[in-house]
Amino acid sequence: MSEFLVFFLHGLAYAGLLFLVSAGLTLVFGMMNVLNFAHAAMYMLGAYFSYTLMLHTQGQLWLSIIVCPIALFIIGALIERFLLRRVHAYGHVSELLLTFGLAYIITELVKWYWGNYPLALNIGGFLGETIQFLGLSYPVYRIFVFACGALVAIILAVILQKTRLGIIIRAAVNDNEMVDALGVNVPLVFMGVFAFGAALSGFAGVIAGPLLSTYPGMANDILVDAFVVIVVGGFGSLAGAVIASLIIGELQSFGALLFPKLSIALVYLLMVVVLILKPSGLFGEEQ
Amino acid sequence: MKAKISLILPIISVLVLLLLMPLVLKNYHLNILTEIIIFALYAVSYNLLLGYAGLLSFGHAMFFGLAAFVTGIAIIHLKGIGMITAIFLGVFSAFLAGVVIGSLLLRHKGSYFALLTLAFNALFYAVATKWHSVTGGDDGLNVPRPELNVIFAKIPVETVPQFYYFTLIVLGIVILFVWFFTRTAMGKTVLLMRENEERMKFIGYSTNLSRLILFIFTGTLAGLAGAFYTLHFRFVSISAISVEMTTVVLLMTFVGGTRTFWGPILGVFVYIILQNYLSDITDRWPLFMGLIFVFMVLFIPGGLSGFIMDMKERVAKKREVALEGNQL
Repeated sequence: MSEFLVFFLHGLAYAGLLFLVSAGLTLVFGMMNVLNFAHAAMYMLGAYFSYTLMLHTQGQLWLSIIVCPIALFIIGALIERFLLRRVHAYGHVSELLLTFGLAYIITELVKWYWGNYPLALNIGGFLGETIQFLGLSYPVYRIFVFACGALVAIILAVILQKTRLGIIIRAAVNDNEMVDALGVNVPLVFMGVFAFGAALSGFAGVIAGPLLSTYPGMANDILVDAFVVIVVGGFGSLAGAVIASLIIGELQSFGALLFPKLSIALVYLLMVVVLILKPSGLFGEEQ
Repeated sequence: MKAKISLILPIISVLVLLLLMPLVLKNYHLNILTEIIIFALYAVSYNLLLGYAGLLSFGHAMFFGLAAFVTGIAIIHLKGIGMITAIFLGVFSAFLAGVVIGSLLLRHKGSYFALLTLAFNALFYAVATKWHSVTGGDDGLNVPRPELNVIFAKIPVETVPQFYYFTLIVLGIVILFVWFFTRTAMGKTVLLMRENEERMKFIGYSTNLSRLILFIFTGTLAGLAGAFYTLHFRFVSISAISVEMTTVVLLMTFVGGTRTFWGPILGVFVYIILQNYLSDITDRWPLFMGLIFVFMVLFIPGGLSGFIMDMKERVAKKREVALEGNQL
């Protein structure tokens, strides 16, 4: 029973990370119809920036949590403004190829600067401890990761549902031409959402570092899972991303417990099943 | 008729040149050339999707890798299997995968298609990695090259020039066949489908069916390239079925240019030569490839072949202008 609970909590922690990465991905996809391959590279950059920062500041995680997302917000804004917007006229395939090329370059740069091997970080203080409850001891940090994901989900939901900005974003997901016609500066909103997505992804990278270690393959590893999340949850749907992250986090976790040989394949099998039964995803609208 | 000769003449001269290569090149370079021919077929098949149908796939390596593995595993486990049977088994497995996956992806286009093919590729990769007892996992499989028997005659393919000729003749014929295919009614259908699908539907074509056939066809061709890949290197590992193997063909195709049939072949040539050259002087050559790639997406979206075509047009226009000037 306690083993069951441990794996359930592991699944929640991974779901938290997965949501932070897929939230930006699904919003950008919903609005701009751009499948951003560089999105997970932002996650990786977040982790590496944080690694270097913590190395120089003796493990100040809080500093990384503030600084790294800001850095990635700026990088994301620059990428959207000076690269992505330039190829927009060539169509979606070019946009996709561009983000793919950027991801490729960022991965190579990371290998160059930080080396092609995993870097481990230890968390000190309260977050590095374990707590006792229900007769088992569990690392605080994993609970913290899940809490971060949950908190961001709530904040995003409030912004999207209750603020004027949120209304504009939701409207732009549905029909960005109409929003443009109504006098909203849609390119600016695109840039903002893109940069915000990058920042969220970078935040996910910061908190992923101590959990999963920092290595050059981490971008691809989470990218495919995040893609599965947005397929299963439905393109452009934040609620879908929440539910799908939870499903896939738990599936990964229990898959490793129950069918260790099949655990990776399970996630893709789920995607195939959803694809056959409901191609638009659990919360997606029919095309 | 004149137009046809101007098309066929370059092809024949390139073929003659390729046939003479073993007389000039050392084994090391001949090996590279064999590799180029194998990847040329892989890239041509990829470009049928990307350039002709406008479908960006991130899962082409699943066909390439599946056939590479099936060919290798068949040779290892089926005693006395001939080369043709081994290749056939590999290609047939890619065909079957194309039928199954193609039917699932039938309705999707654009980014959805890209994403779903990526996920399928990841699934294949995951299975190949985990199924260590059969695929050898990270260690890969050493695959001896079986005998090639064509109607009781045994054709030697052991040495580098022999295998080069075998590859050149079989894959060369297939590439030419694909070229003819793009000029047939079916090939044109695919092109028109990219340009205006609604209209095609309205005229009465089943665009989904055309797309399915194309998907299976390109997958099967990639499978053939994969089977030769195993035979050429006498080795196959999970890298053959990895997403990187798809991104490599994407880079090659895009660098060469997607607007022409021959562009991707040029791209493969440039890529592999560049890879051999750059990897000698720097470990960071993927970085340079990436930079070249992004530069091309931004400034030369037509790739090398598109660039050459544009230059040709400009020169022709200048000549016209000059001629007109003379007449006045």
